[in-house]
Amino acid sequence: MKKRRDEVLVGIVVAAAIAVVVLGSLWLARGGLSKGYPLYVKFPWGAGLKQGQPVWLVGVSVGYVDEVDLHQDGILVTTLRIQNDYKVPVTSKAAVVPNGIFGDMAVAMTPSRPDPKSFNPGDTIPVGPSTPGIAQLTSKADSITTSVNAMTTALERELVAGGGIRDLRNTIAATNRMVNEFAAVASEQSRQLTATMTSLRRATAAIDPAKVDSTITNFRTASSNMAAMSADLKETSTRLDAILAKVDSGSGSAAKLLNDPGVYNDTRALLQQMESLLADIKKNPKRYINVTIF
Amino acid sequence: MIRDPLGPFRKVGKWGYFARDIGIALGDVKTYSSETIRQMRNMGVDSLPLAAIVAAFIGAVTAFQTRYQLFGGVQLSVVGLISRQSIILELGPLLTGLVLTGRVGARMTAEIGTMRVTEQIDALETLAYDPIAYLVVPRMIAALVMLPVLTILADAVGVGTAMFTAVTATDVTAAAFAEGLRLSFTPFQIVYSVIKAFIFGGAIAFFCSYEGYTANVGAEGVGRSTAQAVVVTSVAILVLDALTALLLAPYLQA
Repeated sequence: MKKRRDEVLVGIVVAAAIAVVVLGSLWLARGGLSKGYPLYVKFPWGAGLKQGQPVWLVGVSVGYVDEVDLHQDGILVTTLRIQNDYKVPVTSKAAVVPNGIFGDMAVAMTPSRPDPKSFNPGDTIPVGPSTPGIAQLTSKADSITTSVNAMTTALERELVAGGGIRDLRNTIAATNRMVNEFAAVASEQSRQLTATMTSLRRATAAIDPAKVDSTITNFRTASSNMAAMSADLKETSTRLDAILAKVDSGSGSAAKLLNDPGVYNDTRALLQQMESLLADIKKNPKRYINVTIF
Repeated sequence: MIRDPLGPFRKVGKWGYFARDIGIALGDVKTYSSETIRQMRNMGVDSLPLAAIVAAFIGAVTAFQTRYQLFGGVQLSVVGLISRQSIILELGPLLTGLVLTGRVGARMTAEIGTMRVTEQIDALETLAYDPIAYLVVPRMIAALVMLPVLTILADAVGVGTAMFTAVTATDVTAAAFAEGLRLSFTPFQIVYSVIKAFIFGGAIAFFCSYEGYTANVGAEGVGRSTAQAVVVTSVAILVLDALTALLLAPYLQA
Protein backbone atom coordinates (compact mmCIF):
# COMPACT_ATOMS: atom_id res chain seq x y z
CA MET A 1 0.00 0.00 0.00
CA LYS A 2 2.78 2.38 0.98
CA LYS A 3 4.69 1.44 -2.12
CA ARG A 4 1.70 2.25 -4.29
CA ARG A 5 1.30 5.63 -2.61
CA ASP A 6 4.99 6.36 -3.22
CA GLU A 7 4.56 5.53 -6.87
CA VAL A 8 1.58 7.88 -7.18
CA LEU A 9 3.38 10.73 -5.44
CA VAL A 10 6.52 10.32 -7.52
CA GLY A 11 4.40 10.11 -10.64
CA ILE A 12 2.55 13.31 -9.76
CA VAL A 13 5.78 15.23 -9.12
CA VAL A 14 7.44 13.98 -12.31
CA ALA A 15 4.32 14.76 -14.35
CA ALA A 16 4.15 18.21 -12.81
CA ALA A 17 7.77 18.82 -13.77
CA ILE A 18 7.15 17.69 -17.34
CA ALA A 19 4.06 19.92 -17.56
CA VAL A 20 6.06 22.87 -16.22
CA VAL A 21 8.79 22.29 -18.79
CA VAL A 22 6.37 22.02 -21.71
CA LEU A 23 4.02 24.85 -20.73
CA GLY A 24 6.83 27.08 -19.49
CA SER A 25 8.79 26.66 -22.71
CA LEU A 26 5.69 27.35 -24.77
CA TRP A 27 4.87 30.43 -22.75
CA LEU A 28 8.39 31.78 -22.90
CA ALA A 29 9.05 30.93 -26.52
CA ARG A 30 5.65 31.59 -28.07
CA GLY A 31 3.79 33.72 -25.54
CA GLY A 32 1.44 30.93 -24.53
CA LEU A 33 -0.68 28.31 -26.20
CA SER A 34 -2.31 30.95 -28.39
CA LYS A 35 0.31 31.39 -31.03
CA GLY A 36 -0.93 34.58 -32.73
CA TYR A 37 -0.51 35.15 -36.44
CA PRO A 38 2.69 35.66 -38.42
CA LEU A 39 3.77 38.71 -40.38
CA TYR A 40 7.04 38.91 -42.26
CA VAL A 41 9.56 41.70 -42.70
CA LYS A 42 12.65 41.62 -44.88
CA PHE A 43 15.34 43.59 -43.09
CA PRO A 44 18.87 44.04 -44.40
CA TRP A 45 21.73 42.19 -42.72
CA GLY A 46 23.05 43.61 -39.48
CA ALA A 47 19.69 44.67 -38.08
CA GLY A 48 20.61 43.26 -34.64
CA LEU A 49 17.45 41.17 -34.35
CA LYS A 50 16.97 37.97 -32.41
CA GLN A 51 14.15 35.78 -31.27
CA GLY A 52 12.02 37.13 -28.44
CA GLN A 53 12.55 40.83 -29.08
CA PRO A 54 9.36 42.89 -28.74
CA VAL A 55 7.26 44.12 -31.65
CA TRP A 56 5.57 47.48 -31.19
CA LEU A 57 2.66 48.99 -33.05
CA VAL A 58 2.78 52.77 -32.48
CA GLY A 59 4.59 52.07 -29.21
CA VAL A 60 2.26 49.34 -27.93
CA SER A 61 3.74 45.87 -27.52
CA VAL A 62 1.69 43.64 -29.81
CA GLY A 63 3.97 40.63 -30.28
CA TYR A 64 7.52 39.43 -30.54
CA VAL A 65 10.16 38.35 -33.03
CA ASP A 66 9.52 34.66 -33.59
CA GLU A 67 12.27 33.78 -36.02
CA VAL A 68 15.12 35.43 -37.85
CA ASP A 69 16.11 33.61 -41.01
CA LEU A 70 19.39 34.57 -42.62
CA HIS A 71 19.34 34.62 -46.42
CA GLN A 72 22.48 34.77 -48.51
CA ASP A 73 21.18 37.66 -50.61
CA GLY A 74 21.72 40.12 -47.75
CA ILE A 75 18.25 39.85 -46.28
CA LEU A 76 17.00 38.73 -42.87
CA VAL A 77 13.51 37.29 -43.28
CA THR A 78 12.04 38.07 -39.88
CA THR A 79 8.88 36.39 -38.67
CA LEU A 80 6.86 38.57 -36.32
CA ARG A 81 4.30 36.82 -34.15
CA ILE A 82 1.41 39.24 -33.59
CA GLN A 83 -1.24 38.66 -30.95
CA ASN A 84 -4.65 37.87 -32.43
CA ASP A 85 -6.19 40.89 -30.66
CA TYR A 86 -4.18 43.36 -32.74
CA LYS A 87 -4.49 44.24 -36.42
CA VAL A 88 -1.70 46.04 -38.22
CA PRO A 89 -2.93 48.78 -40.64
CA VAL A 90 -1.80 48.32 -44.24
CA THR A 91 -0.16 51.74 -44.23
CA SER A 92 2.34 50.51 -41.62
CA LYS A 93 6.06 50.23 -42.15
CA ALA A 94 8.39 48.23 -39.91
CA ALA A 95 11.72 49.49 -38.64
CA VAL A 96 14.37 48.21 -36.26
CA VAL A 97 14.66 50.63 -33.36
CA PRO A 98 16.92 50.61 -30.29
CA ASN A 99 15.34 49.32 -27.11
CA GLY A 100 17.11 50.74 -24.06
CA ILE A 101 20.78 51.62 -23.83
CA PHE A 102 22.31 48.16 -23.93
CA GLY A 103 22.09 47.86 -27.69
CA ASP A 104 18.97 45.74 -27.61
CA MET A 105 16.58 46.14 -30.52
CA ALA A 106 12.86 46.01 -31.14
CA VAL A 107 10.70 46.08 -34.26
CA ALA A 108 8.51 49.18 -34.42
CA MET A 109 5.58 49.27 -36.85
CA THR A 110 4.30 52.75 -37.61
CA PRO A 111 1.30 53.42 -39.86
CA SER A 112 1.52 56.61 -41.93
CA ARG A 113 -2.21 57.18 -41.28
CA PRO A 114 -5.07 55.23 -39.67
CA ASP A 115 -6.55 52.70 -42.05
CA PRO A 116 -9.38 50.21 -41.40
CA LYS A 117 -7.69 47.73 -43.74
CA SER A 118 -5.04 45.61 -42.08
CA PHE A 119 -2.37 43.12 -43.08
CA ASN A 120 -3.51 39.53 -43.37
CA PRO A 121 -1.62 36.74 -41.62
CA GLY A 122 1.44 35.84 -43.68
CA ASP A 123 1.76 39.25 -45.36
CA THR A 124 5.08 41.00 -45.65
CA ILE A 125 5.31 44.48 -44.15
CA PRO A 126 7.43 47.04 -46.02
CA VAL A 127 10.55 48.28 -44.28
CA GLY A 128 10.70 51.88 -43.11
CA PRO A 129 13.71 53.98 -42.17
CA SER A 130 15.49 52.74 -39.06
CA THR A 131 16.80 54.91 -36.26
CA PRO A 132 20.43 54.58 -35.23
CA GLY A 133 21.08 52.33 -32.27
CA ILE A 134 23.92 52.18 -29.80
CA ALA A 135 26.02 50.21 -32.27
CA GLN A 136 25.65 52.83 -34.98
CA LEU A 137 26.29 55.63 -32.49
CA THR A 138 29.36 53.80 -31.23
CA SER A 139 30.53 53.35 -34.79
CA LYS A 140 29.98 57.07 -35.43
CA ALA A 141 31.87 57.93 -32.25
CA ASP A 142 34.63 55.62 -33.40
CA SER A 143 34.92 57.39 -36.75
CA ILE A 144 34.92 60.75 -34.95
CA THR A 145 37.70 59.49 -32.69
CA THR A 146 39.65 58.39 -35.75
CA SER A 147 39.22 61.83 -37.30
CA VAL A 148 40.30 63.53 -34.07
CA ASN A 149 43.32 61.23 -33.93
CA ALA A 150 44.22 62.14 -37.50
CA MET A 151 43.86 65.83 -36.66
CA THR A 152 45.97 65.42 -33.53
CA THR A 153 48.65 63.61 -35.53
CA ALA A 154 48.62 66.31 -38.22
CA LEU A 155 48.80 69.04 -35.59
CA GLU A 156 51.66 67.27 -33.85
CA ARG A 157 53.47 66.93 -37.16
CA GLU A 158 52.95 70.57 -38.04
CA LEU A 159 53.54 72.03 -34.60
CA VAL A 160 56.32 69.82 -33.30
CA ALA A 161 58.06 68.26 -36.28
CA GLY A 162 57.41 71.17 -38.66
CA GLY A 163 58.58 73.81 -36.18
CA GLY A 164 55.15 75.36 -35.75
CA ILE A 165 55.59 75.78 -32.02
CA ARG A 166 58.95 77.50 -32.57
CA ASP A 167 57.31 79.88 -35.05
CA LEU A 168 54.49 80.44 -32.61
CA ARG A 169 56.97 81.31 -29.88
CA ASN A 170 58.77 83.73 -32.24
CA THR A 171 55.44 85.32 -33.10
CA ILE A 172 54.59 85.69 -29.43
CA ALA A 173 58.01 87.25 -28.76
CA ALA A 174 57.52 89.68 -31.65
CA THR A 175 54.07 90.52 -30.37
CA ASN A 176 55.55 91.15 -26.94
CA ARG A 177 58.09 93.51 -28.43
CA MET A 178 55.39 95.34 -30.36
CA VAL A 179 53.28 95.65 -27.24
CA ASN A 180 56.27 97.09 -25.39
CA GLU A 181 56.77 99.65 -28.18
CA PHE A 182 53.13 100.56 -28.05
CA ALA A 183 53.46 100.98 -24.30
CA ALA A 184 56.43 103.34 -24.78
CA VAL A 185 54.51 105.38 -27.38
CA ALA A 186 51.51 105.54 -25.10
CA SER A 187 53.74 106.66 -22.23
CA GLU A 188 55.24 109.47 -24.38
CA GLN A 189 51.77 110.55 -25.52
CA SER A 190 50.62 110.57 -21.94
CA ARG A 191 53.55 112.72 -20.95
CA GLN A 192 52.85 115.22 -23.76
CA LEU A 193 49.18 115.30 -22.91
CA THR A 194 50.06 116.09 -19.34
CA ALA A 195 52.26 119.00 -20.52
CA THR A 196 49.47 120.31 -22.78
CA MET A 197 47.02 120.18 -19.93
CA THR A 198 49.47 122.06 -17.74
CA SER A 199 49.84 124.79 -20.42
CA LEU A 200 46.11 125.01 -20.81
CA ARG A 201 45.66 125.40 -17.09
CA ARG A 202 48.28 128.07 -17.06
CA ALA A 203 46.55 129.99 -19.94
CA THR A 204 43.22 129.63 -18.23
CA ALA A 205 44.68 131.04 -15.05
CA ALA A 206 46.03 134.07 -17.02
CA ILE A 207 42.56 135.26 -18.08
CA ASP A 208 41.37 138.35 -16.03
CA PRO A 209 37.90 137.69 -14.69
CA ALA A 210 37.11 141.46 -14.46
CA LYS A 211 37.71 141.88 -18.18
CA VAL A 212 35.62 138.88 -18.92
CA ASP A 213 32.83 140.34 -16.75
CA SER A 214 32.98 143.72 -18.53
CA THR A 215 32.96 142.01 -21.92
CA ILE A 216 29.95 140.00 -20.91
CA THR A 217 28.23 143.17 -19.65
CA ASN A 218 28.94 144.86 -23.01
CA PHE A 219 27.56 141.83 -24.78
CA ARG A 220 24.42 142.08 -22.66
CA THR A 221 24.03 145.82 -23.42
CA ALA A 222 24.54 145.22 -27.14
CA SER A 223 22.08 142.41 -26.99
CA SER A 224 19.45 144.59 -25.30
CA ASN A 225 20.08 147.37 -27.89
CA MET A 226 19.64 144.83 -30.62
CA ALA A 227 16.40 143.73 -28.99
CA ALA A 228 15.16 147.36 -28.90
CA MET A 229 16.18 147.89 -32.52
CA SER A 230 14.40 144.73 -33.45
CA ALA A 231 11.27 146.00 -31.68
CA ASP A 232 11.48 149.33 -33.62
CA LEU A 233 11.93 147.49 -36.88
CA LYS A 234 8.98 145.32 -36.03
CA GLU A 235 6.87 148.44 -35.34
CA THR A 236 8.03 150.08 -38.59
CA SER A 237 7.20 146.97 -40.46
CA THR A 238 3.75 146.95 -38.91
CA ARG A 239 3.18 150.54 -40.02
CA LEU A 240 4.34 149.77 -43.53
CA ASP A 241 1.98 146.82 -43.57
CA ALA A 242 -0.86 149.14 -42.56
CA ILE A 243 0.07 151.65 -45.33
CA LEU A 244 0.26 148.93 -47.92
CA ALA A 245 -3.05 147.54 -46.73
CA LYS A 246 -4.52 150.99 -47.08
CA VAL A 247 -3.05 151.34 -50.57
CA ASP A 248 -4.44 147.92 -51.50
CA SER A 249 -7.86 148.81 -50.19
CA GLY A 250 -8.08 151.73 -52.62
CA SER A 251 -8.82 154.52 -50.16
CA GLY A 252 -6.65 157.61 -50.03
CA SER A 253 -4.78 159.56 -52.71
CA ALA A 254 -1.87 157.20 -53.11
CA ALA A 255 -4.21 154.25 -53.39
CA LYS A 256 -6.31 155.99 -55.99
CA LEU A 257 -3.14 156.99 -57.82
CA LEU A 258 -1.99 153.39 -57.87
CA ASN A 259 -5.29 151.63 -58.32
CA ASP A 260 -7.31 153.98 -60.58
CA PRO A 261 -6.93 152.91 -64.28
CA GLY A 262 -8.16 156.37 -65.31
CA VAL A 263 -4.93 157.92 -64.12
CA TYR A 264 -3.04 155.43 -66.19
CA ASN A 265 -5.13 156.16 -69.24
CA ASP A 266 -4.77 159.90 -68.78
CA THR A 267 -1.06 159.54 -68.34
CA ARG A 268 -0.90 157.42 -71.48
CA ALA A 269 -2.87 159.90 -73.47
CA LEU A 270 -0.63 162.66 -72.16
CA LEU A 271 2.44 160.79 -73.21
CA GLN A 272 1.03 160.19 -76.67
CA GLN A 273 0.24 163.86 -77.03
CA MET A 274 3.74 164.73 -75.86
CA GLU A 275 5.19 162.30 -78.40
CA SER A 276 3.14 163.85 -81.21
CA LEU A 277 4.14 167.33 -79.97
CA LEU A 278 7.80 166.40 -79.93
CA ALA A 279 7.49 164.92 -83.43
CA ASP A 280 5.87 168.10 -84.60
CA ILE A 281 8.60 170.19 -82.91
CA LYS A 282 11.25 168.12 -84.65
CA LYS A 283 9.43 168.48 -87.90
CA ASN A 284 8.60 172.17 -87.63
CA PRO A 285 10.90 173.59 -85.06
CA LYS A 286 10.39 177.11 -86.34
CA ARG A 287 6.82 176.90 -85.42
CA TYR A 288 7.65 176.66 -81.81
CA ILE A 289 11.14 177.99 -81.53
CA ASN A 290 11.75 181.21 -83.07
CA VAL A 291 15.19 182.41 -82.20
CA THR A 292 16.07 185.72 -83.52
CA ILE A 293 19.47 187.06 -83.11
CA PHE A 294 19.61 190.57 -83.96
CA MET B 1 55.63 16.98 4.25
CA ILE B 2 52.57 15.38 2.72
CA ARG B 3 51.64 12.23 4.58
CA ASP B 4 50.46 10.34 1.52
CA PRO B 5 51.33 12.08 -1.74
CA LEU B 6 49.56 9.45 -3.78
CA GLY B 7 46.43 9.60 -1.62
CA PRO B 8 44.34 11.71 -4.03
CA PHE B 9 45.15 9.38 -6.92
CA ARG B 10 44.26 6.39 -4.77
CA LYS B 11 40.97 8.05 -3.93
CA VAL B 12 40.21 8.68 -7.60
CA GLY B 13 41.06 5.05 -8.32
CA LYS B 14 38.63 3.90 -5.64
CA TRP B 15 35.94 6.13 -7.13
CA GLY B 16 36.64 4.45 -10.46
CA TYR B 17 36.20 0.99 -8.97
CA PHE B 18 33.01 2.14 -7.24
CA ALA B 19 31.66 3.49 -10.54
CA ARG B 20 32.51 0.22 -12.21
CA ASP B 21 30.63 -1.72 -9.49
CA ILE B 22 27.60 0.55 -9.98
CA GLY B 23 27.74 -0.11 -13.72
CA ILE B 24 27.83 -3.87 -13.08
CA ALA B 25 25.01 -3.61 -10.53
CA LEU B 26 22.77 -1.86 -13.07
CA GLY B 27 22.23 -5.24 -14.64
CA ASP B 28 20.63 -6.54 -11.45
CA VAL B 29 17.27 -4.85 -12.07
CA LYS B 30 15.28 -7.15 -9.80
CA THR B 31 17.32 -6.13 -6.79
CA TYR B 32 17.07 -2.35 -7.14
CA SER B 33 13.73 -1.83 -8.89
CA SER B 34 11.62 -2.21 -5.79
CA GLU B 35 13.79 0.15 -3.76
CA THR B 36 14.05 2.84 -6.43
CA ILE B 37 10.53 4.23 -6.08
CA ARG B 38 10.96 4.53 -2.32
CA GLN B 39 14.19 6.46 -2.80
CA MET B 40 12.56 8.70 -5.42
CA ARG B 41 9.84 9.50 -2.95
CA ASN B 42 12.37 10.23 -0.19
CA MET B 43 14.65 12.33 -2.37
CA GLY B 44 12.18 13.99 -4.68
CA VAL B 45 8.74 14.28 -3.16
CA ASP B 46 9.89 14.86 0.40
CA SER B 47 12.49 17.43 -0.68
CA LEU B 48 10.03 19.39 -2.78
CA PRO B 49 8.94 21.86 -0.03
CA LEU B 50 12.56 22.65 0.88
CA ALA B 51 13.61 23.11 -2.74
CA ALA B 52 10.56 25.28 -3.42
CA ILE B 53 11.17 27.50 -0.38
CA VAL B 54 14.83 27.99 -1.32
CA ALA B 55 13.91 28.75 -4.94
CA ALA B 56 11.16 31.16 -3.90
CA PHE B 57 13.49 33.25 -1.76
CA ILE B 58 16.26 33.14 -4.35
CA GLY B 59 13.84 34.28 -7.04
CA ALA B 60 12.51 37.12 -4.92
CA VAL B 61 15.97 38.33 -3.95
CA THR B 62 17.27 38.07 -7.50
CA ALA B 63 14.44 40.18 -8.93
CA PHE B 64 14.60 42.73 -6.13
CA GLN B 65 18.35 43.19 -6.28
CA THR B 66 18.40 43.25 -10.05
CA ARG B 67 15.83 46.04 -10.12
CA TYR B 68 17.80 48.24 -7.74
CA GLN B 69 21.10 47.68 -9.50
CA LEU B 70 19.78 49.14 -12.74
CA PHE B 71 20.68 52.72 -13.40
CA GLY B 72 18.38 55.23 -15.06
CA GLY B 73 17.58 54.70 -18.71
CA VAL B 74 17.73 50.92 -18.65
CA GLN B 75 14.46 49.31 -19.70
CA LEU B 76 12.84 47.47 -16.81
CA SER B 77 12.32 44.32 -18.85
CA VAL B 78 15.99 43.64 -18.10
CA VAL B 79 14.82 42.55 -14.63
CA GLY B 80 12.88 39.69 -16.20
CA LEU B 81 15.74 38.72 -18.47
CA ILE B 82 18.36 38.67 -15.72
CA SER B 83 16.05 36.89 -13.28
CA ARG B 84 15.26 34.18 -15.82
CA GLN B 85 18.87 33.65 -16.83
CA SER B 86 20.14 33.67 -13.24
CA ILE B 87 17.51 31.28 -11.91
CA ILE B 88 17.22 28.83 -14.80
CA LEU B 89 20.86 28.68 -15.81
CA GLU B 90 22.60 28.91 -12.45
CA LEU B 91 20.77 29.37 -9.19
CA GLY B 92 17.98 26.82 -9.73
CA PRO B 93 20.14 23.77 -10.39
CA LEU B 94 23.06 24.83 -8.19
CA LEU B 95 21.12 25.68 -5.06
CA THR B 96 18.80 22.72 -5.44
CA GLY B 97 21.88 20.52 -5.73
CA LEU B 98 23.57 22.06 -2.69
CA VAL B 99 20.41 21.94 -0.59
CA LEU B 100 19.81 18.32 -1.50
CA THR B 101 23.43 17.53 -0.67
CA GLY B 102 22.65 18.55 2.88
CA ARG B 103 19.23 17.04 3.14
CA VAL B 104 19.48 13.89 1.00
CA GLY B 105 23.20 13.29 0.57
CA ALA B 106 24.04 13.42 4.26
CA ARG B 107 21.16 11.13 5.03
CA MET B 108 22.29 8.75 2.30
CA THR B 109 25.83 8.59 3.70
CA ALA B 110 24.56 8.11 7.23
CA GLU B 111 22.19 5.31 6.21
CA ILE B 112 24.71 3.36 4.15
CA GLY B 113 27.51 4.11 6.63
CA THR B 114 25.44 2.81 9.52
CA MET B 115 24.68 -0.31 7.56
CA ARG B 116 28.38 -0.67 6.90
CA VAL B 117 29.44 -0.30 10.56
CA THR B 118 26.64 -2.54 11.77
CA GLU B 119 27.72 -5.15 9.21
CA GLN B 120 24.34 -5.18 7.48
CA ILE B 121 26.14 -4.81 4.15
CA ASP B 122 28.19 -7.89 4.97
CA ALA B 123 24.94 -9.67 5.78
CA LEU B 124 23.52 -8.71 2.38
CA GLU B 125 26.58 -10.14 0.70
CA THR B 126 26.14 -13.31 2.74
CA LEU B 127 22.57 -13.55 1.46
CA ALA B 128 23.92 -13.31 -2.13
CA TYR B 129 22.50 -9.77 -2.55
CA ASP B 130 24.66 -7.27 -4.36
CA PRO B 131 24.77 -4.46 -1.75
CA ILE B 132 25.58 -1.86 -4.41
CA ALA B 133 22.58 -2.92 -6.49
CA TYR B 134 20.37 -2.79 -3.41
CA LEU B 135 21.73 0.33 -1.69
CA VAL B 136 23.54 2.53 -4.21
CA VAL B 137 21.85 2.00 -7.57
CA PRO B 138 18.32 2.93 -6.39
CA ARG B 139 19.69 6.09 -4.82
CA MET B 140 21.67 6.84 -7.93
CA ILE B 141 18.64 6.42 -10.22
CA ALA B 142 16.41 8.35 -7.83
CA ALA B 143 18.89 11.23 -7.69
CA LEU B 144 19.43 11.25 -11.45
CA VAL B 145 15.68 11.41 -12.08
CA MET B 146 14.43 13.47 -9.18
CA LEU B 147 17.04 16.22 -9.09
CA PRO B 148 16.12 17.42 -12.61
CA VAL B 149 12.45 17.17 -11.62
CA LEU B 150 13.05 19.21 -8.48
CA THR B 151 15.19 21.68 -10.40
CA ILE B 152 12.48 22.26 -13.01
CA LEU B 153 9.92 22.90 -10.30
CA ALA B 154 12.40 25.08 -8.41
CA ASP B 155 13.08 27.06 -11.61
CA ALA B 156 9.36 27.61 -12.08
CA VAL B 157 8.84 28.65 -8.47
CA GLY B 158 11.90 30.92 -8.61
CA VAL B 159 10.82 32.68 -11.80
CA GLY B 160 7.27 32.94 -10.48
CA THR B 161 8.31 34.55 -7.20
CA ALA B 162 10.76 36.78 -9.07
CA MET B 163 7.90 38.05 -11.20
CA PHE B 164 5.61 38.40 -8.19
CA THR B 165 8.25 40.32 -6.25
CA ALA B 166 9.19 42.56 -9.18
CA VAL B 167 5.57 43.44 -9.90
CA THR B 168 4.41 43.93 -6.30
CA ALA B 169 7.50 45.38 -4.63
CA THR B 170 9.09 47.41 -7.42
CA ASP B 171 7.98 49.58 -10.33
CA VAL B 172 8.42 46.78 -12.87
CA THR B 173 5.17 45.93 -14.62
CA ALA B 174 4.05 42.38 -15.34
CA ALA B 175 4.18 43.11 -19.09
CA ALA B 176 7.75 44.43 -18.89
CA PHE B 177 8.87 41.46 -16.79
CA ALA B 178 7.21 39.00 -19.18
CA GLU B 179 8.84 40.77 -22.11
CA GLY B 180 12.24 40.29 -20.47
CA LEU B 181 11.43 36.66 -19.68
CA ARG B 182 10.77 35.99 -23.34
CA LEU B 183 13.73 37.93 -24.67
CA SER B 184 16.30 35.63 -26.30
CA PHE B 185 14.71 32.55 -24.76
CA THR B 186 15.63 29.22 -26.28
CA PRO B 187 14.37 25.83 -25.04
CA PHE B 188 18.01 24.78 -24.70
CA GLN B 189 18.23 27.01 -21.65
CA ILE B 190 15.85 24.65 -19.85
CA VAL B 191 17.72 21.65 -21.23
CA TYR B 192 20.92 23.21 -19.89
CA SER B 193 19.35 23.50 -16.44
CA VAL B 194 18.18 19.89 -16.61
CA ILE B 195 21.63 18.69 -17.73
CA LYS B 196 23.21 20.46 -14.78
CA ALA B 197 20.67 18.99 -12.37
CA PHE B 198 21.22 15.54 -13.82
CA ILE B 199 24.99 15.86 -13.31
CA PHE B 200 24.54 17.23 -9.77
CA GLY B 201 22.12 14.42 -8.92
CA GLY B 202 24.66 11.85 -10.09
CA ALA B 203 27.38 13.59 -8.05
CA ILE B 204 25.25 13.63 -4.88
CA ALA B 205 24.32 9.95 -5.16
CA PHE B 206 27.79 8.84 -6.18
CA PHE B 207 29.92 10.66 -3.61
CA CYS B 208 27.50 10.32 -0.72
CA SER B 209 26.98 6.61 -1.39
CA TYR B 210 30.70 6.10 -1.73
CA GLU B 211 31.46 7.84 1.55
CA GLY B 212 28.78 5.79 3.32
CA TYR B 213 29.85 2.58 1.67
CA THR B 214 33.47 3.10 2.74
CA ALA B 215 32.68 4.42 6.24
CA ASN B 216 35.03 3.41 8.98
CA VAL B 217 33.99 1.38 11.97
CA GLY B 218 32.06 3.16 14.73
CA ALA B 219 29.69 6.04 15.07
CA GLU B 220 32.58 8.44 14.73
CA GLY B 221 33.43 6.91 11.38
CA VAL B 222 29.87 7.44 10.17
CA GLY B 223 29.91 11.04 11.34
CA ARG B 224 33.24 11.70 9.67
CA SER B 225 32.04 10.06 6.46
CA THR B 226 28.87 12.14 6.49
CA ALA B 227 30.78 15.38 6.92
CA GLN B 228 33.27 14.29 4.29
CA ALA B 229 30.43 13.40 1.91
CA VAL B 230 28.81 16.83 2.23
CA VAL B 231 32.11 18.62 1.68
CA VAL B 232 33.23 16.49 -1.26
CA THR B 233 29.82 16.60 -2.92
CA SER B 234 29.49 20.38 -2.49
CA VAL B 235 32.92 20.96 -3.99
CA ALA B 236 32.21 18.44 -6.75
CA ILE B 237 28.95 20.20 -7.60
CA LEU B 238 30.72 23.56 -7.88
CA VAL B 239 33.49 22.07 -10.04
CA LEU B 240 30.99 20.27 -12.25
CA ASP B 241 28.95 23.49 -12.48
CA ALA B 242 31.98 25.31 -13.82
CA LEU B 243 32.82 22.50 -16.24
CA THR B 244 29.25 22.37 -17.53
CA ALA B 245 29.23 26.11 -18.08
CA LEU B 246 32.58 25.86 -19.86
CA LEU B 247 31.32 23.18 -22.19
CA LEU B 248 27.70 24.17 -22.79
CA ALA B 249 27.39 27.93 -22.21
CA PRO B 250 28.44 28.79 -25.80
CA TYR B 251 25.30 26.99 -27.02
CA LEU B 252 23.05 29.13 -24.84
CA GLN B 253 23.06 32.21 -27.02
CA ALA B 254 19.85 32.73 -28.90
